[in-house]
Amino acid sequence: MITYKIEHSPAYASLQLNLNANETVLVESGAMAAMDSWIKMKSKMKGGVMKGIGRMVGGESLFMSEFTAEGRAGQLFLSPGVPGDIQHYYLDGNGLMLQSSGFVAASHTVEIDPSFQGLRGFFSGESLFLLRVTGKGDLWFSSYGAIIEIPVEGDYVVDTGYVVAFEDSLNYHVEMIGGLSFKNLRTGLLGGEGLVCRFRGKGKLWIQSRQMYNLLNFLDAFRPAKSSD
Amino acid sequence: MNIDILHQPDSAIAHITMSAGEELVAEAGSMIAMSSYINASTALRQGKSGSILGGLKRMVAGESLFLSIFRSPTHGGEVFLAPKLMGDLLVYQMTPVGLVVQATSYLASEANVDVNIGFQGFSSFFSGESIFWLDIRGSGQVILTSFGAIYEISVDGEYIVDTGHIVAFEKSLSFNITKVGSSLIGAFLGGEGLACRFQGKGKLFCQTHNANAFGKVVGSQLPAK
Repeated sequence: MITYKIEHSPAYASLQLNLNANETVLVESGAMAAMDSWIKMKSKMKGGVMKGIGRMVGGESLFMSEFTAEGRAGQLFLSPGVPGDIQHYYLDGNGLMLQSSGFVAASHTVEIDPSFQGLRGFFSGESLFLLRVTGKGDLWFSSYGAIIEIPVEGDYVVDTGYVVAFEDSLNYHVEMIGGLSFKNLRTGLLGGEGLVCRFRGKGKLWIQSRQMYNLLNFLDAFRPAKSSD
Repeated sequence: MNIDILHQPDSAIAHITMSAGEELVAEAGSMIAMSSYINASTALRQGKSGSILGGLKRMVAGESLFLSIFRSPTHGGEVFLAPKLMGDLLVYQMTPVGLVVQATSYLASEANVDVNIGFQGFSSFFSGESIFWLDIRGSGQVILTSFGAIYEISVDGEYIVDTGHIVAFEKSLSFNITKVGSSLIGAFLGGEGLACRFQGKGKLFCQTHNANAFGKVVGSQLPAK
């Protein structure tokens, strides 16, 4: 396990990783904020980690870099592009489904694949692209707003826009709940369709306390009007 | 009903645990997650003055307040609610005095709290500004939300607050609209808008930031639409 520290959570969480000599970590490209000078970055992808293609699905690009502490132990600070929270999860041979924009970093022993099955049902204006993370090792993921862990046992319902990650021991499908659908009341550009994801089984689920769409819709109203000429 | 507020003040989220048969009324779209057996509806709940219907009418005029009603059939039903923008939440226990809440600051309330839309004689002062007010009565808890953090002022005498910073105030306070500076033009040029002058004795809740001011700063730099 990589030793780490998450600071300034939940609004401005930053991840500090302490790599052992010659240890390598996978990092969302662009997330590196500061590091010891002997840590070497390589943006070339490791063979099986990502199949390249899936990474750009739906305009959602997920590029990764490898950071290696060459010769001696070193420290690395990571910050997600959007201010929010960071959560650590240790994979022990099981799988985790992760909203693709939530990936921050992982041990190089962890396998990351875009799960195309996960896309079904999430298509409806509210795009939630899921990555399937498997193997053994550490994983860190981020959110907009705070992350709340929900231990699901039975059934749980989450607005699709607030799903961050969940253990793949949970079954899920997307549906519309009558009393929560405000389709005809939509005012914003994005989201707001009232789609929920229903989780079944036993496993952990992480949600975020805010959604970026709401901020975008709010700001959109303040955009200047286009001049007619 | 038990309300826990987590992750204050910037990413605040309300975790509500309900007893069997309890109802929670919340701003539409504020539900983030819940136990699957909670019944959610948008049924019109007619108060004394047809509260929710009144809301529908107002929507035509560009003011809207749609409410969802959550009902837990069993003990221990959970609902997570959060506001749209970054900010805080505050649980206010209703008193017989009543509370006036800026519409965008209302998040949720217990079933015995009456939410009436459009506090008459107040919104008319703000022509051009999309602020409207809720007149809240009854008993139970109300969850208020703010842009930025919430601070409380115990008014005893007089107090002045910029209208964009008002979250809610107790109805024991009377108020009138005033300008902050010495002249009205100066007030607008100086960026200080209209202010509310409160009088009397009661609690006043303010927010550290003004969402409209934030929207103007950021939104005006976005490409034109």
